[in-house]
Amino acid sequence: MADTVLVVVEQREGKLNRVSLETLTAAQAIATEMGWSLEAAVIGGSVDPVAQEIAKVKVAKVYAIESPQLERYTADGYVAALKQFTASRQPKLVLMPHTYQVRDFAPKLAAALERTLISDAVGYRKEGTKLVFTRQMFQGKFAADVSFSCDPPHFATFQAGSYRGDKVETSASAAPIEKLGAQVDGSAIRVKPLDIFKEAKQAVDLTQAEIIVSVGRGIKEQKNIELAKALADALGGEIAASRPICDSGWLPMDRQIGSSGQTVAPKLYLALGISGAIQHIVGMKGAKSIIAINKDAEAPIFEIADFGVVGNLFDIVPALTEELRKAKS
Amino acid sequence: MIFRTPLPNTERPQMEADVVIVGGGPAGMACALRLSQLIDEHNKKNPDWPLSKENIYVLEKAREVGQHCLSGALLDPRSMRELLPGFEKEAPIDAEVSKEAVYFLTERSKFKSPITPPPMRDHGNYVISINKFVKWLGEKVEQAGITIFTGFAGSELLVENDRVIGVRTDDKGLDKQNQPKSNFEPGYDLRAKITILSEGTRGSLTKQLIGRFTLDKECNPQTYGVGVKELWELPAGRIAPGEVIYTAGWPLTNHEYGGAWIYGSKDNIVSLGFVMGLDYRDPRLDPHHVMQAFKTHPFVRELLDGGKMIRYGAKSLPYGGWFSIPPLAGDGWMLTGDSAGFVNSQRLKGIHLAIKSGMLAAESAYEALVDGDFSANQLSSYQSRVEKSWIREELWKVRNFHQAFEHGMFEGMIHAALQQVTLGRGLHERYTSHAGHKRLEQIGHLPSGGYGREHMLGPAKGDGKVTFDKLTDVYHSGTKHDDDQPIHLVIHDTDICNTRCTVEYGNPCQHFCPAKVYEMLEAADVPNGKEIHVNFANCVHCKTCDIMDPYQIITWVPPEGGGGPNYDGM
Repeated sequence: MADTVLVVVEQREGKLNRVSLETLTAAQAIATEMGWSLEAAVIGGSVDPVAQEIAKVKVAKVYAIESPQLERYTADGYVAALKQFTASRQPKLVLMPHTYQVRDFAPKLAAALERTLISDAVGYRKEGTKLVFTRQMFQGKFAADVSFSCDPPHFATFQAGSYRGDKVETSASAAPIEKLGAQVDGSAIRVKPLDIFKEAKQAVDLTQAEIIVSVGRGIKEQKNIELAKALADALGGEIAASRPICDSGWLPMDRQIGSSGQTVAPKLYLALGISGAIQHIVGMKGAKSIIAINKDAEAPIFEIADFGVVGNLFDIVPALTEELRKAKS
Repeated sequence: MIFRTPLPNTERPQMEADVVIVGGGPAGMACALRLSQLIDEHNKKNPDWPLSKENIYVLEKAREVGQHCLSGALLDPRSMRELLPGFEKEAPIDAEVSKEAVYFLTERSKFKSPITPPPMRDHGNYVISINKFVKWLGEKVEQAGITIFTGFAGSELLVENDRVIGVRTDDKGLDKQNQPKSNFEPGYDLRAKITILSEGTRGSLTKQLIGRFTLDKECNPQTYGVGVKELWELPAGRIAPGEVIYTAGWPLTNHEYGGAWIYGSKDNIVSLGFVMGLDYRDPRLDPHHVMQAFKTHPFVRELLDGGKMIRYGAKSLPYGGWFSIPPLAGDGWMLTGDSAGFVNSQRLKGIHLAIKSGMLAAESAYEALVDGDFSANQLSSYQSRVEKSWIREELWKVRNFHQAFEHGMFEGMIHAALQQVTLGRGLHERYTSHAGHKRLEQIGHLPSGGYGREHMLGPAKGDGKVTFDKLTDVYHSGTKHDDDQPIHLVIHDTDICNTRCTVEYGNPCQHFCPAKVYEMLEAADVPNGKEIHVNFANCVHCKTCDIMDPYQIITWVPPEGGGGPNYDGM
């Protein structure tokens, strides 16, 4: 049997992760150079469409490794299935894209087979009969050459962008697909995945907001932020803050305005209890109208404010909110 | 508050190195360059057993070479001429010193010294931007084939059996809680045959080294000053390129040590700064405020009027002199530049000494590489090189200079004059000194009111034209740190800050820090109603807090590499 290089492609909910094509491009080159045959494997609950898609790529064979236990990704399930598979197929080299999922299970897979893993490689070259992989160090300043000294199967992953997925060689005739049922013992899977959800999109893009109510240290306590929020709601605007507020964790960092946060230019910027250090000013001085409320008449915010109110924000803000609500209804 | 510490129980990439130089300032760059020259010569003479430069690395915590370098700066070219003869032709030199003047200031007037005292004679020196100069040196180092890792700090010294075996670099991608973020990258263990510390003033690894081996047991305590600097763009014709002005006196009183410099550079740029000894008594004194007060003196205000402040920065400097310098080498390590304390406190110059010390360390490192011996015995050749060099000659003459000022400016001047005629000896063979922070007096022991120091106490307000409040100045330092990382100003016991220090010293950290890192904020459940808050993202890496804190409970450690000031053109 010829030596093989196996690419484990990644799919999620029946959709191919395109980075897999980059790994296939690399694998095609390696196979040619080493004189190995190239095979691919797809793993999951039912992976037929992805296997069909991969079969169009120039590979000798595609394995569709299926089991109901693999419907949802778990490291335990994937390792169990791939361990059996690589043990029986004995490829020389197993290549994977360096995705989050691969990062999760590949070290475990290699360890389960008592082999080593070269992760996040950006390239390879043939040196004699040996494959040498290149990895980046010191944030890309350095490249280290590494190679396997253990017996095969060898495991390696390629960094996204190291090869071009659109350069993958396709074949006129589809590669044969072999379906394999994986024996995965449900009790070996120690994690129970729940529903997959998308992280809520960032709720706010402050740069698009027309009205911003921004709070500074003058707000004194975390609970008082509600006062400003109520005002923002009444105005139909967004809430934002200067650094000390976000620094204390009273508002998330993506609400921070200034040199270390967002730069905004809304129609109206209401600065509540913000002294107006230059670090803040540079983030909001482009606002069309600036209204500042501060108890310190000498606060530098008044130098750039179009309207300034010297007074206690705890008196002014609730009254203002109330008036706005009345006017609206 | 969670403080930065190398993440425990983490597997770290290991890397072998021949020489690791920590810090890419004048000392580190000169060391790398000299080492490269010696290796080139060696390889020419011994083509059959060449030495490689591949495993010689310079670590630099700034994102770009030179960005954390701050100085006046005047360069005494002596060592550069030895390192790169004819360097003047290509180095970024702004002007040659053409004119000097020394003034003594009172609040309203100035008195010009009829002669320029010999140590202040700067003819033949160059006005440079240390930032540009080091950037240029860095290019030379890279061209020579030595790798500079910018954005990497040394976070820990690796020590095994009392031997320094290398350096651990900073962990990247830690959040405020010191927990790994998704972009976490553990620091590297660079295992080096020779570790050369050129971290600059009050180096954090140098502090670990000195502490671990009590290297300072035979030394006078190191004493420091802090320099606060602004770069100004002035209307044409105010001050000539190469014109140098020094002042003493106001705003300081007889009991504070320090003075100002004004250097004319090219293109109407002027470097202006105030250095003051970190051995003052009043804990409310604020070196940034002193600098602002200085600019309100009619003489200075007139000079600056209509100009524009374009950059700000601050840095401490060691000026304890010869008797404060610890042993310079040991098993696997050497100390160079400001980390060792090579500053001539009388001339207030150290760049030329830093460069020379880096060169001498390189010579010893080269011999060690050839001999394959990295022991204390072998590397002690660096100590003897320094002692036989003009570094010792220059520093020996001023060995007692700074100590003489411990009891005030006027007494100090008398001692200094005596030392001048006795080749540096003065009244005693070895003048002793005290660590500056020990001289701080408790608030309760001070006279009431401002007692003539009102203009230096507490925060400066700033008029926005000639004078500035601290935050405005900090903005002009270009300082940036990732906000989501642990605090790198490690306070070992914040209870002391909120209780004892508030009562005894009134939290001087708020005042001595030139970047408004430390604030006392009102808080409900603390005994004195105020609680320490650390705005670490403002930190300009000057190390003043590590030096001046009266309880010595602050340890400055490097933040995530790449963070810090941006001293472009400074």
